[in-house]
Amino acid sequence: MSTQQIQPPTAAPAAAPAEAGTPMLSRMVEGLSGRYRSIPVLLVLALIWVYFYSQNSAFLTSGNITTLTLQIVTTAILALGVVFVLLVGEIDLSSAMLSGVCATVTAQLAIKSEWPLWVAILGGVAVGVAFVGAEVLAIIFGVPSLIVTLGGMVILQGLLLVVLPPEFAINVAGTDYAKISSTYIPSGWSLALGAAGWLIFCATRYRTHRERESGTSPLVPVGVPALVSGVVIFGSIAVLSEGPGLPLPVLILVGMLLIAAYFTGRTRYGTHLYAVGGNREAAQRAGIPVSRMVIYSFLVLGVCAAVAGMVEASRLLAVSNSSGGGPLMLNAIAAAVVGGVSLFGGRGTVWAALLGALVIGSINNGVQLLGLSTEVQSFATGGVLILAVAIDVVITRGSLLPNRR
Amino acid sequence: MPEAGELLLQLSQVSKYFGGVRALHEVDLELHRGEVVALVGDNGAGKSTLIKVISGVEHPDSGTIQVRGESVRLETPRAAQSAGIHTVHQDLSLCDNLDAVRNLFLGQEITGGLLRGRPVSRHRMEVEARQVLDSLAVKLRSLTTPVGGLSGGQRQGIAICRALISDPSLVLLDEPTAALGVTQRAEVLDLILRLKAQDRGVLVISHDLKDVQEVADRVVVMRLGSKVAEFGRGDYSSSDLIAAITGAHEAPRTPEGIR
Ligand SMILES: Nc1ncnc2c1ncn2[C@@H]1O[C@H](COP(=O)(O)OP(=O)(O)OP(=O)(O)O)[C@@H](O)[C@H]1O
Ligand SMILES: [Mg+2]
Repeated sequence: MSTQQIQPPTAAPAAAPAEAGTPMLSRMVEGLSGRYRSIPVLLVLALIWVYFYSQNSAFLTSGNITTLTLQIVTTAILALGVVFVLLVGEIDLSSAMLSGVCATVTAQLAIKSEWPLWVAILGGVAVGVAFVGAEVLAIIFGVPSLIVTLGGMVILQGLLLVVLPPEFAINVAGTDYAKISSTYIPSGWSLALGAAGWLIFCATRYRTHRERESGTSPLVPVGVPALVSGVVIFGSIAVLSEGPGLPLPVLILVGMLLIAAYFTGRTRYGTHLYAVGGNREAAQRAGIPVSRMVIYSFLVLGVCAAVAGMVEASRLLAVSNSSGGGPLMLNAIAAAVVGGVSLFGGRGTVWAALLGALVIGSINNGVQLLGLSTEVQSFATGGVLILAVAIDVVITRGSLLPNRR
Repeated sequence: MPEAGELLLQLSQVSKYFGGVRALHEVDLELHRGEVVALVGDNGAGKSTLIKVISGVEHPDSGTIQVRGESVRLETPRAAQSAGIHTVHQDLSLCDNLDAVRNLFLGQEITGGLLRGRPVSRHRMEVEARQVLDSLAVKLRSLTTPVGGLSGGQRQGIAICRALISDPSLVLLDEPTAALGVTQRAEVLDLILRLKAQDRGVLVISHDLKDVQEVADRVVVMRLGSKVAEFGRGDYSSSDLIAAITGAHEAPRTPEGIR
């Protein structure tokens, strides 16, 4: 309509591309806050791997990598739930304890009451969803989520003792329950699954490209992601297949991540999720049901906590009064944040759960492999966490200098 | 009322209190199709509050709101939107973490079917976004960078472009020119006239009396929550406006109402 109105660059300083003259550094910060957010995380991961490999070449054997993936699955699944809650600008401290309670309920139903395993699993998930449901009601009535979930964590510690039998442990070894973690997918099947996933990815990528800029060569916008994803998918399958195969929990994690990535990245639900985390008032004014989005996030967390608890119980072959305790909660939050999800809401992707869990899991695994004391493990994990939050603050503020904006 | 089109919006005796603060006191307001009404008044006069009441963000304590002759309760922003009312708030209401396209379509995304989880049609949204942004000469380096990193003028441009996406019959603008340079200010005034030419109703808040005199068919003056005066186009001078805004002397109310 108004194409004749060409803006003189001097008359409208506000309209001129002010970014052109900004220093490299802040442009880098800007890029890192967007779609390149995982690059520093990948660099840190690569550094950790190179370091431990140089200290002990057993670190990157397929056997140890299989162990590592099994160690991180629980953290990663729980972190996935935490990511959803962080994205809407809330926090959660209770989900690790909740995972212990859900796993115990499932164990009770499956082993003591001898219900079919899938019914018992549904029972455990229902408990998880019901508990976070109660928590989130308090949260949308205005009680800060930090307090609600802190209280929830203490309540769950008591609840765990209630649902456990008097001897405070249920052994699940030798039952169907234990098979969740000890099932390995044969190489043929995992290869077929990986190939199918990769082909679907490439096809959607190509279709989007054709739709968007018909005519230009698809080599770079389609070829590069296809190559990278192909290397990652087939590389990991090859490495894991050299050992006992692809562990079922890894498949569960990848499945959950893919579903989560689709819904957060491609759908209207995802846009609204990020909008609520970015500017709650603006989201509300745009007609987004803010409370409902917060409820959805916590319900997702409830499901993730239940699944994480069951995978962990079946890996450890028991539930006990220490289920869901220990450093699990801290590790899950740290994984989400280290992976690039902002504590201030609205920034980061679901892949952060996997990347962050890999970083933290690799540190723990490597430290144990080198026979270093557990203090070193604590120092390293704590240091990485603080560094990650510092990066988050810098990106949110948009500057490396303190006290800006 | 010679120039008046269909009566779009009618407020009568609307009051709003924040605790002890009387933000609005028995305000009456009418708005017609194809009409630009300017709302002026000192800081804290209740202008933004009035706009928030009309856009469903705040709820009046008393009084009625009619849209196209029907009494409505604007409980939520979405209710106001579906009544054809679109608002550009003073703080722009942008999500800094989302890119321009997502901000433009926030709450009204173009999506696929429910069975596939309502995927957004990114491509169609981008094409439409580009058209709308071009039509107002809003220049962006990229549609995919988060808007938090953009300049004030670019952000203002995006916020105003949102008004064109949903094709509303009534557009409310809260200080749309406050953050703008000379050229973009002219663009915005141009946009207001274009909205008017498209036969929409426009309610615009501004502190710039020159802007007001340029675009407004009617000027409503507020002071301390009350409507103190109303002038038709050409019926007033700058000093009339200033007197009414500051309450320097009792503002002359035109006896036969509007013009
Ligand atoms: N959410 C709120 N809570 C309490 N008081 C409020 C709230 N919003 C507005 N007010 C009060 O209502 C009065 C009117 O405010 P409003 O924002 O409508 O003024 P305004 O005319 O838009 O001023 P400005 O020109 O500065 O934007 C002010 O006294 C303000 O302090
Ligand atoms: Mg205001």
